[in-house]
Amino acid sequence: MSASGPATGPSRLDELACLESMRRGDPTCLGGFFQAWGDRLYRLSLRLTGDPASAEDVVQEAFLKLMAGAERIEGRSRLATWLYRVAYNASIDRLRDRKRTAPVPEEGDDEPAPTPALLVDFLSPEEMLKDAETRRALDEAIAALPPSLRAAFLLRDVEGLSTAEAAEALSVTETNLKVRLHRARLLLRERLSAFVAGRGERREGHP
Amino acid sequence: MTCQELVRHLSDYIDGTLAPEDRTAAAAHLAECEKCHLVLDTTQCTILLYRAAQSPGLGAERREALLRRLEKACRPPGSAR
Repeated sequence: MSASGPATGPSRLDELACLESMRRGDPTCLGGFFQAWGDRLYRLSLRLTGDPASAEDVVQEAFLKLMAGAERIEGRSRLATWLYRVAYNASIDRLRDRKRTAPVPEEGDDEPAPTPALLVDFLSPEEMLKDAETRRALDEAIAALPPSLRAAFLLRDVEGLSTAEAAEALSVTETNLKVRLHRARLLLRERLSAFVAGRGERREGHP
Repeated sequence: MTCQELVRHLSDYIDGTLAPEDRTAAAAHLAECEKCHLVLDTTQCTILLYRAAQSPGLGAERREALLRRLEKACRPPGSAR
């Protein structure tokens, strides 16, 4: 399996033209922009904050910043990367605000990637996803990761950003992004393996 | 390549970013080591699971309401409200 392609969305030229018209106060482009990015930013923020109201706030904040042109989008930075960065930072801010009441998994960038311990075969993703229990296990496994690892995994493996784009969105080096992604994948694999082992699921033909 | 080295290179192997000689060594190890092959298989499956299990978006009602709020906010600087 190779890395997935870049995030889809409006082309770069359209993005910049739209952005400029929105800065001038023309909302014509807003609907299309919102269609393209609203749900993506919401999903990322929902995975990070675990709270629908906070995630909706984050989307609003990101779009307001975009429309205000509060920060110019640099030529080197695609709009996607900019939006994800704003949404990530806004989500982390909200997590920090809540930290006193809700526990946030500890950061652990220095820890080595876990050694795979549980070795059980999975059913195909299609088969596994027929089951609501699997979806719950997926939610719980990713919620247990530190937000920095969660974000690396979501941007690279779910949203399809390149290593360079994801690193820029999270304001880390590409090396650091790769370390986080590797840890996230192995931790999720381990947790899902525990779920599969607990249910005694095996792919047919395997013991 | 040892099992430990394979696991260390696993993400680069999945992403196709290993140097050619490491990739050859990893493929040779995977062909012989059932455990590492299973780790590769389940890691790829994990990625596919999250990609396929789209979490819910805003929902039609909240999406519309938020868009209306943003449209109101999208006015030329200094224009009357």
